[in-house]
Amino acid sequence: MHSLWLIARREYIERVRTRGFIITTVMIPVIMAGFIFGSLFLGSRENVDRHVVVVSSDRQLAQDLQSELQSQQPADGTQTDQNSISLRAAARQPHITVDVMEPARGTRALLDQDLEANEIDGYLWIRPAPTPGGQPTFTYTPRSSSDQLTPQILSAALNRVLLREQLAHQGIVAGQAEALLQPVEISASHESRHHDRASSMVSIGILFFLMYFVIMLYGMNVARSIIEEKTSRIFEVLLAAVRPEEMMAGKIIGVGAVGLTQVGIWLTAILLAAASSGGINIGGEIIRPSLTGPQVGYFFIYFLLGYLFYSAIAAALGAMCNSEQELQQMNIFLMLPLIFCFVALGTLLATPDAVVSRVLALIPPFTPLLMYMRVSIGHPAPWEIALSLALLVASIFGLIWFTSRVYRVGVLMYGKRPNVAELLRWLKYS
Amino acid sequence: MSIVDLQHVRKVYDTKVAVEDLSFSIEPGNMFGLLGPNGSGKTSSIRMMIGITLPDSGSVSLFGQPFRRSVLGRVGYLPEERGLYKKMNVLDQLIFLGSLHGLSTAEARRRSKVWCERLDITEALPKKTEDLSKGMQQKIQFIAALLHEPDLIIMDEPFSGLDPVNASLMMDVLIEMRALGKAVLFSTHRMDQVEKTCDAIALIHRGHLVLSGSMAEVKATYPRNRVQIQFEGDDAFLRHPAVSSARRYPGRAEIVLRPSPTLDDDSQSLLATAIRCARITRFEITQPSLEEIFIEKVQATTPGRNPREIAAEVQTVEVSVDA
Repeated sequence: MHSLWLIARREYIERVRTRGFIITTVMIPVIMAGFIFGSLFLGSRENVDRHVVVVSSDRQLAQDLQSELQSQQPADGTQTDQNSISLRAAARQPHITVDVMEPARGTRALLDQDLEANEIDGYLWIRPAPTPGGQPTFTYTPRSSSDQLTPQILSAALNRVLLREQLAHQGIVAGQAEALLQPVEISASHESRHHDRASSMVSIGILFFLMYFVIMLYGMNVARSIIEEKTSRIFEVLLAAVRPEEMMAGKIIGVGAVGLTQVGIWLTAILLAAASSGGINIGGEIIRPSLTGPQVGYFFIYFLLGYLFYSAIAAALGAMCNSEQELQQMNIFLMLPLIFCFVALGTLLATPDAVVSRVLALIPPFTPLLMYMRVSIGHPAPWEIALSLALLVASIFGLIWFTSRVYRVGVLMYGKRPNVAELLRWLKYS
Repeated sequence: MSIVDLQHVRKVYDTKVAVEDLSFSIEPGNMFGLLGPNGSGKTSSIRMMIGITLPDSGSVSLFGQPFRRSVLGRVGYLPEERGLYKKMNVLDQLIFLGSLHGLSTAEARRRSKVWCERLDITEALPKKTEDLSKGMQQKIQFIAALLHEPDLIIMDEPFSGLDPVNASLMMDVLIEMRALGKAVLFSTHRMDQVEKTCDAIALIHRGHLVLSGSMAEVKATYPRNRVQIQFEGDDAFLRHPAVSSARRYPGRAEIVLRPSPTLDDDSQSLLATAIRCARITRFEITQPSLEEIFIEKVQATTPGRNPREIAAEVQTVEVSVDA
């Protein structure tokens, strides 16, 4: 036990001291935050205010459209919490300024000139219906064909205006027509089990990604560190003093402790940032990273078990390979199940309690990520949680038993795979 | 009580027999040389001695008892392939390896400093291992093997790649360890190193034991039938009837005498003849060198092989390593 502690401590200290650790600890949150802020920023940039011209001989229609478009003002400004980190939300409607013109000789040429000069973002040409009661024709000429949003908004507004006109035509009072046109709103948050569904989804998502990322990164670190000891031949010195099982366990624990430290730093930073700023404003909605006690508890349980499961596989891979290049080829065994979890995540999110989700979450390689997700958003029965943990723990024991044997033989073998008879003989030796 | 006792040890890797029916023992206070060309099974034998691998059959005893891992605290091991953590600072590394062998941190630190001073590498202590020269790394590894004051010191090719000054510095340490009553085993393919320093040897070739015993015993079984002559003048004495074969070098000749019960008289008679032909500056009667014994023994165990071929096997190995 003493040797195991020494090896784990060395592994931990040497890793935490490296520049690489400090860089990943600082840079990964920065990069992630950069992605989130960057995409939101770009999204908000796209929604800069528009200036369009409506050309119509039907003055009434043009003015109705103008007031319809200009009444859709963004309302999020009032909601923004002064304390919150305010992100210009992606979902915000752009502010549209509308000018109305009567078609005349030279109008089109003038407007085209304005388009060229960046004075306007586009113009909508309305031709009156050729026959009474028929639909007028609408032609929108944008400055940039990449602007998909403005035509959508115009078409929605036109629909409302024409619908209102027809309703008025049918003799419906303006107030009633307005009521009919009110969009239906569904409020999901009150139906949800959790107090603040959006907030907890973001938090769960962050933790899910964190688990995926850290397990993959530190699993690979275990394998790489074993290869490093193989190539530097230090293991031969160590084996003359320490059991291979102690070496392997010390390594897994030491590297895992580094991962935990990193996750701990990140989580603390996120919670501190959230506590001091009052929340993150996304899409006009204030997200406070809020997690319930059980969510955090399950996160750490599944995270630790997941790490043990994958690092045991990684240790076996490391022991069987002779170089980093060989390891690269074997990586797939480690990555595939983790990537599969990501692929299965869509199904699981949509239907967390369907049979396929329930079965997948019970398969040990997928349990850490998928069962954690189910626990967070679904309604797994207590026996399912218990069974998932039991299966996972049992398979970890099996894996470590197997891996330590592979390790024992593997670290001393160059270019030779251990066979079953040999493994059995190693087994007897202690 | 023997410190190390191997009995009929056999180890097979896949299809290659690494060691076959190997038996020898090492006594306390002895310097033991394990000899053989590369690939002859030296490292495999050493690994089995300290439980890194297990023999397929046969038995290994350390300190008079069947091998148990608990005795490893009394063994110091320098592997053939040097292994240190490249990125780790030297002092931390020595402390880590020392504490794995049961030393306290403070004691490991103190001893590391004493040893580094002794081997003249104190300036390396705060450096990273990868920044050191190969010879310095080897000294660090050497210290790591001795830090916990082991009773059995096992060194696999300790002098390969070292310059003569450092090699003799390390050899002095090993001789001192022997004087302290510790058993020292080192493997080498350099027969000349062993001839001067070892109390006992085992010669292995292709996994088989060719020869073993104390140096005196081994030599005693061989007649003093080699004559080295340095001379100026006529070499007609080489045609003396007692001469079986001779190699002629400028101003020098190496002579093998015919087997005879009167070997001492024959050599004196050769000397008398030589004096009449030339001016003799050196005349030495010796036993065959270990290298010659080795070649002869290998030839006896694998009949039909050309002695030159065997010699070449030993020689090329030396050349390639020394280069």
